[in-house]
Amino acid sequence: MDESTKRLLQRLIRRIPTQMLRTTLDKWGRLTGGQLHSMDFTQSKWALTEKLLAICEENELAVKHITELEMIYIIDNPNQGMWYAFQLMDPEDDAHSVELTQFKEQFKSHLRELIRHVSVKIKKHTDEAVWIRIAWGDTFSRPNHMKPTYVVHSLQTPYVFVTSLTSKQKPLLSQALVLSTRYQAIKDANLSGRKLTAIRDLLMRQYHQVFPTRYPTPLAENNPAVSNQHIEKEQAESAANRLQAACEAFGGGMLPQLQSAVYKLETKFRDHSNKTMTEREEPFRCVVKFASTNLLESLRHCASSGIASTPVTPLLSSIPLKGKNYFVITDNGPGPSSQMRQPQK
Amino acid sequence: MAAKLNLSGPPDSDTSSPNDQSVSSRSSNRSLRVADKERRKNEADDPFVLALKYFSDVEAGTPVYGNDDVERNMVLVEKVAYSKGLSPETISIMLEFAMSLRMGTILCPRVLKCLIPATVVPQEAVVRAFVWLGVGKIPVSTQILFIKWVLTVFDMIDAKDQLRAIYGFIFSFVTEENLCPFICHLLYLLTRKESVRVFRVRKLLELQSKLGRQPFLLNLLSLYKVFCPELVTLSIPSRIKSVFRNHNMPWRSALIAVQKRDGSQAASSISLASTIQDKTNPRKRKHCHLVLPALCSVVNKEAQIEPSSSRKVVPLVQLHSFDQLLENMHRIELPAQMGSLLGSSLALQYLDCVQDESALLRLNFWLGYALHEEFLFCGDGGASQNSEEALQFLNKLLSTQHFLQEGFSSSEAFLYKFLNVWDGSLLRPQILGLLSNIPVIPSSQIRLLLFEPLMQLFFTSSLFFKCGLMECLNNMLLKWLTWHSVYALEDDLDISLNSHTSINMTLSGFKDSVMELVDFVGRLASVGLQLEGCHSLLLSFILDFYETVCDTFLKYGLPLVVIPPTGVFYPALFASDPVSVDRLAYIMYRYKVNLTSAKSQEKEQAFHISRQTFREFNHYATVMVNCLWNSKMFQPGMGIQLGEELLLKSNVPQYWASFDLVHHPAFMSYAVDFHQKCWPGRKDMDLNSIKHSKPWSWYLEYLFSQGYDGLKQFVQSNISRQKAAGDGQGNSLST
Amino acid sequence: MSLLKPFSKLPGLCTANILLVESEEQFQQSLADALVEETAVTVNVRLAKSLPLPMENEESRPRIDLVVFIINLTSELSFQSAEASLKYLDPGYFLGKVCFMVTNARNASVPTERLDAVRKLAASLNCPLLFAEDQTPDGVTNATERLLTILKVAAGLVPMATALYLSNLTRCTVPPDIDQPSFD
Repeated sequence: MDESTKRLLQRLIRRIPTQMLRTTLDKWGRLTGGQLHSMDFTQSKWALTEKLLAICEENELAVKHITELEMIYIIDNPNQGMWYAFQLMDPEDDAHSVELTQFKEQFKSHLRELIRHVSVKIKKHTDEAVWIRIAWGDTFSRPNHMKPTYVVHSLQTPYVFVTSLTSKQKPLLSQALVLSTRYQAIKDANLSGRKLTAIRDLLMRQYHQVFPTRYPTPLAENNPAVSNQHIEKEQAESAANRLQAACEAFGGGMLPQLQSAVYKLETKFRDHSNKTMTEREEPFRCVVKFASTNLLESLRHCASSGIASTPVTPLLSSIPLKGKNYFVITDNGPGPSSQMRQPQK
Repeated sequence: MAAKLNLSGPPDSDTSSPNDQSVSSRSSNRSLRVADKERRKNEADDPFVLALKYFSDVEAGTPVYGNDDVERNMVLVEKVAYSKGLSPETISIMLEFAMSLRMGTILCPRVLKCLIPATVVPQEAVVRAFVWLGVGKIPVSTQILFIKWVLTVFDMIDAKDQLRAIYGFIFSFVTEENLCPFICHLLYLLTRKESVRVFRVRKLLELQSKLGRQPFLLNLLSLYKVFCPELVTLSIPSRIKSVFRNHNMPWRSALIAVQKRDGSQAASSISLASTIQDKTNPRKRKHCHLVLPALCSVVNKEAQIEPSSSRKVVPLVQLHSFDQLLENMHRIELPAQMGSLLGSSLALQYLDCVQDESALLRLNFWLGYALHEEFLFCGDGGASQNSEEALQFLNKLLSTQHFLQEGFSSSEAFLYKFLNVWDGSLLRPQILGLLSNIPVIPSSQIRLLLFEPLMQLFFTSSLFFKCGLMECLNNMLLKWLTWHSVYALEDDLDISLNSHTSINMTLSGFKDSVMELVDFVGRLASVGLQLEGCHSLLLSFILDFYETVCDTFLKYGLPLVVIPPTGVFYPALFASDPVSVDRLAYIMYRYKVNLTSAKSQEKEQAFHISRQTFREFNHYATVMVNCLWNSKMFQPGMGIQLGEELLLKSNVPQYWASFDLVHHPAFMSYAVDFHQKCWPGRKDMDLNSIKHSKPWSWYLEYLFSQGYDGLKQFVQSNISRQKAAGDGQGNSLST
Repeated sequence: MSLLKPFSKLPGLCTANILLVESEEQFQQSLADALVEETAVTVNVRLAKSLPLPMENEESRPRIDLVVFIINLTSELSFQSAEASLKYLDPGYFLGKVCFMVTNARNASVPTERLDAVRKLAASLNCPLLFAEDQTPDGVTNATERLLTILKVAAGLVPMATALYLSNLTRCTVPPDIDQPSFD
């Protein structure tokens, strides 16, 4: 085992919380029962790492085994780092018949054609998603396993989720993906978040959606807490309407956890009292960012509790509707109403 | 001191050799000790010892990057530090290594963060480190980290004499803006009377004009003012926003862990502190102030072994009995965390005995800050307020105040603020307990500080709150009166309210305050009884209060008699339970005794009781006698007057007799019982027959035998029995 | 604009009616649940987010004996909403039938100016200002008890006491700065 492999293992062990270490090593299956047994998980991380290094040395494990361990850990704990969504466009006729082995071979070979020093590992997860780990090198250096890119793609869907990808690597990955999935193009879906499952659910509409209806659902159904006959809500009806509107805009039940929404404004400044700004030719630029541990939940609460007015402004309701959390807002021709234009990638 | 400074050598020379000296001299000093010998045997093959040797010998300018040795040795030291803590020698070596910047500034913070002492921190090491600080190559952030470390381990530094000797040197750092708050805190802990000098005061004032009224400067200045009031003419607000914060974050968890693992040692060092810290509870807490620190581990064992050493101070923690306390009174070393004093009765005795105000001042600072942060300025909006910790903290504070028999001024200031946002139920017993301890408030402020908030709470809260508040106000009055009787000076004009905070108040001022309080309770009681339908529980608490009030002259020597308002007198007189009537009779009896005695002493002692007071009392006494005894309820000139026709219309037979001792609702059952016992054969009951002379005296005997002593005393003092059969009106006080 | 009037309807026998106004609609619910537990009198609770109340409930709404404005001090919106609602009350209510209840007063994130503003508001209207601990069960119980104490008087259920009489004893006063009790 060379120095870089050792450092990779050290860093990996440091990342894995102690209480998860045992199960992760179990899953890995590279350690014999005896070796596993000999490890004392109450020891400090430092001591554990030393011990593990010795065992790996003994079993003659190489980089690819260590990356295997890393993948196991990342697949089980995907909610780390920032995930970005991409959308594949214009499928070829045979796009729907791509299957795993074919995809694997194609992807690897396409990527290798583009860049010589790259290490690709592909693993299929139980939920049908294909996990790809890419360690990039460049023309002169060997793949750097310290900063791998992870790509998650469910076959037969147009969505790809990527984490820690640099702008230099982006075109390479895009091309390899487009070719191996039999699509013609790929574009940024303008959606990102710390929870992979959340952005996937949002894009694939896997959350409880509420549709507008002419006949409002009976109140009791939404509000099981049928209150005492001596308690009466004066404004129950408007409260119910607000809740209905909020759920229509953002969905009911548990909502996917998004951390932020960003609006980039490039609109004309309008204020009659401030002539210099209003008469400027260039648009006024500013960025508005909403942040929360669960943004959609917060927005829904704002709307249902009356802090934000209902019906919900399309600026906010577009987040779940279009599956995006990054918007560029520009003036669309003359007229006072500013419209949202889909940002072009 | 000079020798020490020489040891460190010129700062830019090769520094490894002087350091070597100090280490070797250190270990040779103690080489005789057996434990050390044994360690030496194993030294050769112990990697930790080798690591230390590396750090003490390493050449200046050795690179850090790519240097595996330093990394390996560092890890070794860290491992020991976080598991067992470092020995004094190790701390000396590592501190010297870090502060001398022999391997640059990169390792410095890392070393500082792992300096977890296992037992004590040698003073010499800290002094040397300060010298390095003066060299001025260390980045400011690291300098701050170092001072934070010193503050954190302050109580573990084995002596403070040399640190005090370089007070001026440390003081010179206050001019560095970033260091200033921390330096001020350290100076605050080190300051003695002799360290307060004119030029230092001037420097601080200069800084204050530059930086604004910063709390850390104010705190240090106020301490200076306590020591040398003549040097600091600046007026300092009696309550400063916040005192010094704890800076122990980088070491906190590690220190706790080491102390926990080292259970035996820790236990011995905190044995003095009674039940302070619940050991099962070391988790992260929101109420970081509420856990009283253990009276800290200045485990200075060597000082105990060699008592003749130059060290002049004795930490409180080493004293175990009152005798020891007395012997060492003049050289007590106070701990850095004043909060720990609350837990130790010896420390409290010390506080109580010494006239040294700095201890009390520091304790007050800390307490005021803790109370404010935890109860008025909560991070979570007070969700976890009723927690065990808050309860224990306040209970501890209460028992401390009971021990000292006085309140802290910071808890008083806190209460005035807290009452304004109190819901009346949160920590009620504790808050009312603290409230009853507050010292006398001048009558000009008592309404704003106390009466306004209490009145709102009283009238909107439940019966039980009303009773609780009555009890609290009664205790408050009792304490005020007790203070008066204890601290009243000979000339009877000046009383010192509080043994420590020399606040003087004239006797008439004190009388005004007491009067205000009694009047206030009178108002609360009258309206309270009205709103609660004369509830007998509330009435009982109110009568408790008046039992205190009626005896102010005889029991507490205060020439002041306040008669209860009608709103209290009549509900008690017409109460349906005999106990209330009996207690009212007792109170009236005591009033009479007090007034008679006051009247006789008035001339020789030159005080004056208002004639109005006598008139009021006589009026009440007449009403009572007429009502209970003479069956002359609604006579003209009495308190209650009703039109003749109206009374006739009511169809109550013999309405004038309906509240005499026979017909009074409270005593009717006794009359019936007496009637049956007296005339067992009689079929039809005629209660009026009790009123004949003979059965009447029997009936009285019977009532007195039931335990109604108050009634007995009232009757005996107010009614002469000879006249009683007729129209004996026995109240005998003339105005 | 429809004013809520204190004497436009007849009182019910042994009944007290209370209106809780809170823009956040959090604390009012738990208060309401506790208020209706009262057994000595029948307590009807009306909950509202803000005033004015909808016209269509006019018929079914009983006479309101006490209006309580709940203000969460950590939210400026909560205060503004209560302030805006005040003008939909008949002046007759301010003779002892309105009170303010404040939550989160001890929170670190509350600017002192806001508490002062609430105090000034309550004092200018001669209304009592109660503080409540909404986050603990004990606090809710206690707040309920205190509201009941006022409500019973306001509904005329306590002999020898009227709403005006009680509010004269309990109304809020603006305290001066009590930062430093000086003894000079």
